[in-house]
Amino acid sequence: MSVVAESTLDAKVPSGPIEEKWEKHRFEMKLVAPNNKRKFDVIVVGTGLAGASAAASLAELGYNVTSLCIQDSPRRAHSIAAQGGINAAKNYPNDGDSVMRLFYDTVKGGDYRSREANVYRLAQVSGSIIDQCVAQGVPFAREYGGLLANRTFGGAQVSRTFYARGQTGQQLLLGAYGSLMRQVEHGKVKMFPRREMLDVVVVDGVARGVVARNLVTGEIESYAAHAVLLCTGGYGNVYYLSTNAKGCNVTAAWRAYKRGAYFANPCYTQIHPTCIPVSGDYQSKLTLMSESLRNDGRVWVSKAADETRRPRDIPEEDRDYYLERRYPAFGNMVPRDVASRAAKERCDAGYGVGTTGKAVYLDFKDAIARDGEDVIRQKYGNLFHMYQKITAEDPYHVPMRIYPAVHYTMGGLWVDYNLESTIPGLFVLGEANFSDHGANRLGASALMQGLADGYFVAPYTVGNHLASVKLPRVTTHHPAFQEAVVDARNRTEKILGVNGDRSVDSIHRQLGHIMWNYCGMSRSAEGLKDAMEQIRSLREEFWQRVKVLGTGEALNQNLEYAGRLADFLEFGELLATDALERNESCGGHFREEYQTAENEAKRDDENYCHVAAWQYNGEDAAPTRHIEPLTFETVKLTQRSYK
Amino acid sequence: MSELNLTLKVWRQAAHDAEGEFKTYRLNGVSTEMSFLEMLDVLNEQLIAENEEPVAFDHDCREGICGMCSLMINGQAHGPDNETTTCQLHMRRFRDGDTIVIEPWRARAFPVVRDLVVDRSALDRVIAAGGYVSVNCGSAQDANALPVPKQDADKAMDAAACIGCGACVAACKNASAMLFVGAKVSQMALLPQGKPERTARVLNMVARMDAEGFGACTNTAECEAACPAAISLSNIARLNREYFKAVLTSPR
Amino acid sequence: MTSLIRALSSTIGKKLLMGITGLALCGFLVVHLSGNLLLYVGAEQYDAYAHALHSQTILLPIAETGLFLLLILHIALGVITARENWAARDVRYEKKKSKVVETTSKGAPNVASKWMFLTGIIVLMFLLVHLGHFKLGVISPGDPDATEFANAARILSQGFTQLVYLAGTLVLGFHLLHGFQSAFQSLGINHPKYTKGIKIFGFIFAVTIALGFASFPVLGLMGYFSGNTGSPPAAESVEAPPAETPPG
Repeated sequence: MSVVAESTLDAKVPSGPIEEKWEKHRFEMKLVAPNNKRKFDVIVVGTGLAGASAAASLAELGYNVTSLCIQDSPRRAHSIAAQGGINAAKNYPNDGDSVMRLFYDTVKGGDYRSREANVYRLAQVSGSIIDQCVAQGVPFAREYGGLLANRTFGGAQVSRTFYARGQTGQQLLLGAYGSLMRQVEHGKVKMFPRREMLDVVVVDGVARGVVARNLVTGEIESYAAHAVLLCTGGYGNVYYLSTNAKGCNVTAAWRAYKRGAYFANPCYTQIHPTCIPVSGDYQSKLTLMSESLRNDGRVWVSKAADETRRPRDIPEEDRDYYLERRYPAFGNMVPRDVASRAAKERCDAGYGVGTTGKAVYLDFKDAIARDGEDVIRQKYGNLFHMYQKITAEDPYHVPMRIYPAVHYTMGGLWVDYNLESTIPGLFVLGEANFSDHGANRLGASALMQGLADGYFVAPYTVGNHLASVKLPRVTTHHPAFQEAVVDARNRTEKILGVNGDRSVDSIHRQLGHIMWNYCGMSRSAEGLKDAMEQIRSLREEFWQRVKVLGTGEALNQNLEYAGRLADFLEFGELLATDALERNESCGGHFREEYQTAENEAKRDDENYCHVAAWQYNGEDAAPTRHIEPLTFETVKLTQRSYK
Repeated sequence: MSELNLTLKVWRQAAHDAEGEFKTYRLNGVSTEMSFLEMLDVLNEQLIAENEEPVAFDHDCREGICGMCSLMINGQAHGPDNETTTCQLHMRRFRDGDTIVIEPWRARAFPVVRDLVVDRSALDRVIAAGGYVSVNCGSAQDANALPVPKQDADKAMDAAACIGCGACVAACKNASAMLFVGAKVSQMALLPQGKPERTARVLNMVARMDAEGFGACTNTAECEAACPAAISLSNIARLNREYFKAVLTSPR
Repeated sequence: MTSLIRALSSTIGKKLLMGITGLALCGFLVVHLSGNLLLYVGAEQYDAYAHALHSQTILLPIAETGLFLLLILHIALGVITARENWAARDVRYEKKKSKVVETTSKGAPNVASKWMFLTGIIVLMFLLVHLGHFKLGVISPGDPDATEFANAARILSQGFTQLVYLAGTLVLGFHLLHGFQSAFQSLGINHPKYTKGIKIFGFIFAVTIALGFASFPVLGLMGYFSGNTGSPPAAESVEAPPAETPPG
């Protein structure tokens, strides 16, 4: 696949000093008068942190909101699984934090591939997020004096992470879910669970609704509105094994892409360094062990490649605390991409531990000796419990075995400063957009971004769209809806009609292998080309051999799965294409050809200091690569160093 | 690692209004390292190969936090382990030759959707009745303006840990949702943020709970034992207390 | 007022009333047992107590009516909740296994908690028999001129009745084993400092009540009353009321 053309995208970043951009923009945006808000309908797809917060906030303002989610309840969105915490530039610990420092750390952590203005706004509203969540009754950890506690996360030298044990995502989501359910009770939000969005409906170039499958009855339903918000999460499950929930998928974003929304930086995927290693072929998912564990845990392997001793029998002098050795300034708290690659490097060199040799130790021996088991249990009890459930090993006495796993995707639908995609009226929030994390997301920033988008950005920018664009009345009887419904139905029929001999799961596993081997922690031009070839043939095989039983007129989980896999099989190729076109290493995108003498990622700011956004050109045509140049006015572009 | 040969007795029901029945399946070579749901994945692969529709069951995060997985396993909600969801249950807990009976949650308020999938939206409606603080976005004061004693915050967190899976309802002989409601009412009652709506919240949530058709609490503590998030029975006592107070003091 | 009734007719409200009425009935049991223990002291004292009780022509009917209402409320609530609880699970499990017994140390009272409705029904039937004996005198009526002690001695000496009383009082104890401490939970009293104490006290209470009442049929079985069944001690003969009061 070759690149057809490049054009420059306008992110509509307001002019002026970075500190004043958002303030200025808020003033310049148009408003919808309070009594007019009830005349506008907004669809929010997804009920994670971004979706639930956006739906609740828009309903509070007075808009009529329709909310869809694929789970049986809006409370189950995968934000719930986020463990460690949420960043905010509150500077409560008085350790030198500020909006500027959070902004700087995030831009640097993202390896200088994010849009400065967005990141600054994110840091600016971060404090309000904590205020809002506390007011909702989110039980954040507190000090004995009754004030909020903080801890440290990777890529930062200050303690700015707020947390609720190892269940921060759960508590924040339940807060947003509560607000959402309050609006459901008030009748301002119509909630539709067990619905899967299958298409965006565009009328006269503007997003005016969605088509979704009722997962219980199989009916294809239409929803019309004045604006559509996609808050549908990331695409990590293209790798099959990831820390994502089984239901996470790229379908909503991919169908939007096919309707004209550009897909930005799909090759930026985050491999999280601390996950429970794979134990066998039947494995269906990987479980994350929060980054917060690195506050107290020390990562090591043996100095000897052919180590056979049990971890507790290996004396200090034979242990290689390789993160502390390589990065003395940040030690175990280096950003995720750095920690992941370092683990892979040790394992590839033959120092890996456990039966598979694909793991390193995360050891709490010193922390327990220092603080006592009770303190450690208070901080991480639920994580240790989870680890023990899965591995049947007691991490209080035996070091955890961990290995990197796919966790988060920085890429996503391209959005401008207003979080609006290239389809007017289609807004994209949270992990589903590409906006704030550049090539690598810092720990505890995903929750911050999802809630910033939903609580404090979209409510303004969606209003601006509604107030400034002429939106004639459109109902679900419009031909565009009819066409989308027929498309969706045909697709279902097509999948059911293949009637082959391979299960959906087996094909997905095969796709996962291809993605992990060639587009995983390290990539090469040769491997990526190979991967694209393999994905294409696997896609053909899918449409010839997939076997889905049952009908489309009932709950059919295998049919849902097949539809999602079909999209992954198309998307995977775009991910590889993007990785191939980006001839540099940055953050989570590591190209073997581009590394420093010390095996660190080597950026090419001259040629790749831009966002790559892909435009769909049809089934058989190559997509167009557009660019949005990144200009750094506030932060100086340097080689990232954590030494 | 060893392998198990199992007999599975699984509830199959094509749709909500269809007749259901138990079907028995043989499953061989199950690794003890598998999770229970991975074992069901293997069963489904086997069924697909034999042209039988796979067993429908709810699941999502597979790490014990989303609350989507369910299942009555040999008569116990989420299986035999303490503080464990079905997705965290591993096959090492079973023995070679075991017969495992797998049923959906049973409650009038949780109608079966298909096979092992049930509709738990009644729990959402109970939350909608008042399981939140009515605070509009943007109007919050500084997060540290209101200190909360650590022990209260910790207790609130203990209650807030509920994952909404419905195991309490499934395990209770009365299909009572008191632990679920008690957890949310407690969380809010323990925090100063929850105080302004304290009375209305408990009255409305309990009224909704009853309207949804959940049974009453008989204090058997089966809910507490089945709860994967270790929600304590003391939350039900607090709910009773809150309710008592609200009944006596409510202006209506 | 209507809102109060509405609130008390919710699931929680009903359990609250169950708890209150149950605890009040427990109070009655204590009074009743204390009175009955006079059987050990001697016929004279026992009859004197009965006489004193029955001469309360104003207080006694009020107390009896109150007791009757408590009991009716307790039973009615029990039946209504049981029906609702039964309906809340419309389809039964093929297999059901307690997780409390298996995974926690709280095994003992839980067994009782599963059978509250059934044990309640058995206690009610026993109560009817008991009232038939002592209050209404419709079951095996004796000599109307017999003293209270003689009457009790006669009834407690009948072989089959002894077994009925033994079973009835033990089932009552089983009912209390869960009922007493459960009432506190229903009233919202659950505190790390006190709950354990309440549970221990509840256990001792249930055992004491059960053994205390059960000791009377046991006495009968052992022939304690065999010398006293026939004629009343002449000295204390009064115009005996038809039977002893509060159902005993």
